[in-house]
Amino acid sequence: MLLLVAITAFPAIYLLQASFFDFTLLGDSRDFVAFDNYLEVISSSSLRSSIVKMVGFVVAVVALELAIGLVLAVGLAKRTWFNQVASTMLLLPLAITPAVSALVFRQLLNPNFGWVDHYLRALGIMDRPLEWLSHPVTAWMSIIGLDVWQWTAFVALILMAGLQAMPREPYEAAVVDGASDLQIFRFVTLPMLRPFIGIAVVLRVIQAFKTFDSFKVLTDGGPTDSTEIVNLVIHRIALQSFRIGDAAALGIVLLIIVSALAPLVLRLLGSNEGVAR
Amino acid sequence: MRAVRILSKGMLVVYLGLTLVPFLFMITTAFKPGNLAQAIPPAWTFEPTLEYFRALLLGQSGASDFSRLLLNSVIVTFGATILTIVLATPAAYALSLQSFRSRKRVSMWILSTYMFPPIVAVIPVFILAGDLRLIDTYPVLIVPFAGFALPIAVWIIRGAILELPESIDEAARIDGANNWEIVRHVVLPLTAPAIATAAIITALLSWNEFLFALSLTRSTAKTAPVGVLEFTGLFGTQWGFLTAGSVLIVAPMLVITLILRRRLVEGLSFGAGK
Repeated sequence: MLLLVAITAFPAIYLLQASFFDFTLLGDSRDFVAFDNYLEVISSSSLRSSIVKMVGFVVAVVALELAIGLVLAVGLAKRTWFNQVASTMLLLPLAITPAVSALVFRQLLNPNFGWVDHYLRALGIMDRPLEWLSHPVTAWMSIIGLDVWQWTAFVALILMAGLQAMPREPYEAAVVDGASDLQIFRFVTLPMLRPFIGIAVVLRVIQAFKTFDSFKVLTDGGPTDSTEIVNLVIHRIALQSFRIGDAAALGIVLLIIVSALAPLVLRLLGSNEGVAR
Repeated sequence: MRAVRILSKGMLVVYLGLTLVPFLFMITTAFKPGNLAQAIPPAWTFEPTLEYFRALLLGQSGASDFSRLLLNSVIVTFGATILTIVLATPAAYALSLQSFRSRKRVSMWILSTYMFPPIVAVIPVFILAGDLRLIDTYPVLIVPFAGFALPIAVWIIRGAILELPESIDEAARIDGANNWEIVRHVVLPLTAPAIATAAIITALLSWNEFLFALSLTRSTAKTAPVGVLEFTGLFGTQWGFLTAGSVLIVAPMLVITLILRRRLVEGLSFGAGK
């Protein structure tokens, strides 16, 4: 009976989801306009650039999080009480409501009352307050910093698990062979860590493509539209201008980009079941 | 490896310090009396006050009644969690059965739904909810939240069922148990920890959701993460209310994190962070 429930109820829910998605595709623009919406998306430079910004954001945060996460993971790999406490503390940002962390960051970056400006000046790094969110470059820095703050721990802890699962023998062999620290890291640790790096990167790419809250709350696309990623554009034209057709076309374009990742995801996570057993 | 370890240890300590800054800001500011909240340099000694928490919870903040917002969040979170577990547990069991032919393909399909961008889903849900006059109601949040959590929940529970040794199943069969009895008396008790983990992660994701809550609610079903934004706007920001509200939203999730610890990462990474 449970089997029956599962087989019928479960696909039904997702088919429903999928059917929604057909429904917006063309059926909702009351007149049939064929590919006009798509032409508009492709020909509009601001829409195209919103996609470029999105991809750039994803690449930037995932690269940074991987680099920092790897360094942290190496420090965390040994099972000591300090590392236990440290890894638990690292988890905390993961649990924070993203909209709230963006809100808190916005106050921290406030040029008049924020801690960031005050302490950077106290340390002599800056000489006068900076309107972080009013300049495109610093606005991007802020938003990337927020994402790194919130998600690096996720990458670090996956890699830490990978490091802890490694056998000792290759290390001992490398030491006997007289390999240097860097050589060991480069030729022993990294290759063995590859599956975990793959999983961490893929999951972060997927999650980063879903980013909405931090942009909406921290910059809302500003200044002007310099941080307006495609997710914000879709939200704006669909739910504020109600141009559903355009938004749907843009959504489909986004979906196609994300789907290109699907085979990679399925291979990495699907085979992961072997790891889990 | 010594040089690398010392370097990364140093980075770790610095990074931990930076990680805690936003928490420190949020928590200290929430307890600061009115005139000190925005003091520069930041006040580190002050008499802690509960005035903002009290005003928020009693609905005297001048914005939406915060206890109502929290109640909405709780209702939506519980609804989504129950719905997810009710659907995910049988699905996970089915996916672990040898007799279910296309289990591999269905597993892959469930996994791929995790990639579906919520921003694409919100448009049709918005239209449908409008047609059904469901905007600003609980179900319009509960059902999508469950949809988003299902892939992760199914994966966690499925992993736990697959880890059960086959001999248990055989022993139960020899004792004359049928499928239903095996599920009821063997599988469910043994996978209860995984089901609990899945439930907690679902609750975390639903509690923190912002996009759907922002797009599909107006006032009666508005959740706390959306409501707390009211304290910042064109006419300045009320730091006391804003941070106190943030603390109220974040506190239960911090407790959850401390309970789950590494199982949080393990669950969110589909089993990789073990």
